[in-house]
Amino acid sequence: MAVEATVAPAASDPADERRVRGPRGGGLGRFIGYRLLAGLGTLLFVLLFNFFLFRMLPGDPAARYRGVRSINPEDLDRIRDELTAPLPEQFIAYLKDPLALDGISSWKGQPVWDLVSGRAWPTIVLLGTTTVVAVVIGVWVGIKAGWNRGGRFDKVSTAVTLLFYATPEFWLGLLLILFFSTGIGFLPGIFPSGGVIDSGLEPLSFAGIGSIAEHTVLPATALAAVYLAEYSLIMRASMVDELGQDYLMTARAKGMMDRLVRRRHAVPNASLPTITLIFLNIGFIIGGAITVETVFSYPGLGLLTFEAVSEQDYVLMQALFLVFTGSVIVFNIVADILIAVIDPRIRT
Amino acid sequence: MANADEVIFRVGVLQDIDNLNPFNGITAAAYEAWALMYDGLTGYAADDFAPTPRIAESWEQSEDGLTWTYQIRTGVTFHDGEPLTADDVAYTFNRIMDGQLEKTNYGSYVAQIKTVEATDDSTVVMTLNNPTPLMERLAVPILPEHIWSEIGADELEQYPNEPGSDPPGGVGSGPFILTEAREGQFYRFEANEDYWAGAPNIDGVEYRLYRNADAMVQALKNGEIDFADDLDANIFTSLADTEGIEARSSVYYGFNYLTFNGGAALTDGTPIGTGHPSLQDPQVRLAIHHAVNKEALVDRTLDGRGSPGTTVIPPLYPEHAEPEVPVTYDPEEANRILDEAGYARGPDGIRTMPDGSDPLVYTLYARQNSETSQTTIKFLQGWLEAIGIDSTAETVSEGRLYEIAGEGTFDMYEWGWVVEPDPDYQLSTFTCGQFSYENDRGTVRAGLNDSFYCNEEYDTLYEQQSTETDRDARAEIVKQMQLMAYDANAYIVTEYYDYLQAYRSDRFTGFVPQPDPDGAILFQYGTYSYLNIEPVTESASSAAASDDSNSNAMLIGGAAGAGVLAAVGLWMFVRSRRGTDADVE
Repeated sequence: MAVEATVAPAASDPADERRVRGPRGGGLGRFIGYRLLAGLGTLLFVLLFNFFLFRMLPGDPAARYRGVRSINPEDLDRIRDELTAPLPEQFIAYLKDPLALDGISSWKGQPVWDLVSGRAWPTIVLLGTTTVVAVVIGVWVGIKAGWNRGGRFDKVSTAVTLLFYATPEFWLGLLLILFFSTGIGFLPGIFPSGGVIDSGLEPLSFAGIGSIAEHTVLPATALAAVYLAEYSLIMRASMVDELGQDYLMTARAKGMMDRLVRRRHAVPNASLPTITLIFLNIGFIIGGAITVETVFSYPGLGLLTFEAVSEQDYVLMQALFLVFTGSVIVFNIVADILIAVIDPRIRT
Repeated sequence: MANADEVIFRVGVLQDIDNLNPFNGITAAAYEAWALMYDGLTGYAADDFAPTPRIAESWEQSEDGLTWTYQIRTGVTFHDGEPLTADDVAYTFNRIMDGQLEKTNYGSYVAQIKTVEATDDSTVVMTLNNPTPLMERLAVPILPEHIWSEIGADELEQYPNEPGSDPPGGVGSGPFILTEAREGQFYRFEANEDYWAGAPNIDGVEYRLYRNADAMVQALKNGEIDFADDLDANIFTSLADTEGIEARSSVYYGFNYLTFNGGAALTDGTPIGTGHPSLQDPQVRLAIHHAVNKEALVDRTLDGRGSPGTTVIPPLYPEHAEPEVPVTYDPEEANRILDEAGYARGPDGIRTMPDGSDPLVYTLYARQNSETSQTTIKFLQGWLEAIGIDSTAETVSEGRLYEIAGEGTFDMYEWGWVVEPDPDYQLSTFTCGQFSYENDRGTVRAGLNDSFYCNEEYDTLYEQQSTETDRDARAEIVKQMQLMAYDANAYIVTEYYDYLQAYRSDRFTGFVPQPDPDGAILFQYGTYSYLNIEPVTESASSAAASDDSNSNAMLIGGAAGAGVLAAVGLWMFVRSRRGTDADVE
């Protein structure tokens, strides 16, 4: 298709590629262009793949109508025929509107993008908080642990982070609810156990923001624990890799203070894998908060996904998966570009 | 949080209000919200579900039962101040009768109605094709014509009916006014101070959505909500001794059952499917009924929160018929019946048809989304084995099972029904007219009859009860029909399950059960509890804080888990320490 045609010359003409690699900016520009096209190609593939993925789900979208109230079998049939037209018909309808711009949720009867955008901001709040907390703490712990490998701090932090890393986040979430929401023993229950904001408050008012913050603490903690563990373990490993490098020896030989050697030389080089991971994870957390959002009844995209799947709402799933794959692809590209900017060796 | 002195009754629900538009939503939560927002033409009594006046103050029928005249209550206003008149009633019913989407939720109410007309401001006259007792059961929410007439048929599906909608949504005449709807989070209602039946004792109601039953119960314990609806048996049990919380197990109108393929066929009589011929013999079905231990099922699948079942109209309804001699759990009797009927055991212990053909090997199905269903089928396999019947069991989705039922490619399966106060729909599941049928595309689709029980006498009684407008006379017919199906063993009703709810008894009091005295106290046919509850007075509410001594399963589990975590952490720490010590040396 169009994508392959544009991509092909770049890939099949190494001479051409070598020529442009010379000036710095040109190499980076070409690199970015290539990544964008590849991303678009992936997106197209995913669009097609998603169609079949949903339709392989077991179950009957009309089943929820049965037994609820006195519904005639004929009416049930009509609903079922609407929801489960033959695959080719569904596919044509799908191709006409692959982004589900006109899509109506079969579960809520609302335009799907209204539903998705209404649920996006809680996820963005949760995601932002989680990422900031996890990156700041995780990277700091990783640097400190890696630099003094085998020290007391390293031993304790590695044990703790490994534990967090191995902990299922939804279970951690349940524990947090038990300890900090219900309260146990001398601990008073101080945080709400579900939702994102109390009723009667405007999200952008002073009280509203306070309420959102209060509701976000526990789910963000549950998610951040897992991700900060991941960041600190990766950061530690990369620091350890750098420890024995000659350039550090050189820096020390120049009489540089240990703290400066670490900050100016070791950390920038060691942070590359972590940066990639952080951006990749942003893409994944958007969709990956499903379990935590469900445990905390946090009305974000993850919970919406859970609901769309349980209600067999194909159109809603289509829009959601588009958001998720889109965000993974976008943040992948961002990570690639960022790394290429930081480390010129990547730009090939 | 907004106003400390306001008394808001906060209800935790696990199921979302899927749509606030009364033509679009289907979940129980949506019906509950509409009951707050709207009044029906008639209602259901709190104590026994009998028809009661609501918007219709009174009604009378003509001699032939074909003309019904409703006196509409005067002085009722909608939330926006407009008066509710007979025109609004006529508009609502005509809209349903002329509509398509409108019929999805309310089609069954208008099936026999020919015309609906407002003859003056407070009188509505309906004419019928055939007399029907449903005319006393018109629980259709009365909509304001001045708003809904602006919403065309093509706009109806997308009309959200929320406070910010255009035209303004949520306007009804009910006891509570919808003020805030946050999809997926909460729904808030304010008391209607001008409600015709008197203002509620509380200032508002809030539904909070939880997608996790544990979190909902924690919220109840720490006082974020006042009521938790639809609990699991194990969670319910864990609440038993919690101070300030009353856990209530109420009789409910749902039942689980095992059905037989009693001879699958289309409505025109063409046999379909792969049912085992032995199941067309009532004696075999009776024997299997004797082999099923319902008490064990209630204990194992419901944790005892229910009762063994008999007929298809549950005992909480006055129309329920209890068989004089119920079929008991008696495997010996079952074996005796089968021996006597000629189903001799082969050398492998499996019975065959009386002529020696077709060993009794049954295909059973359970529902994927129901643990109760799967446990029941597992038990059933053992019970069948004990009476010389072999079986294979499969677990499928409800959608697939619906197809299997329609095609008749099963011998037995487990499913459930939820029964409305009017018995008509449930009774129709044993009529010949509800056999499977072929639709326009030539595919075989299921009717409501999934036991393929067909009996002319039953069908005649069904017709009689559907036109009998005298309540007592109809109840007699309805009872007779239940017993007919019971005696024929069309179904084995395994259990009537309870409805489990819990509330802060230190905060609210005055709940009204429906039916009296064992029924549910919320999610009823009506708004009785919402209208009658009131806050507990100061002196009693001081006990609220002292609920930290309870020891429930989750607490122990959590503490144990944390203990294990700590132990593993310590072990790893010690281990890694030892490792490096060795390195140093």
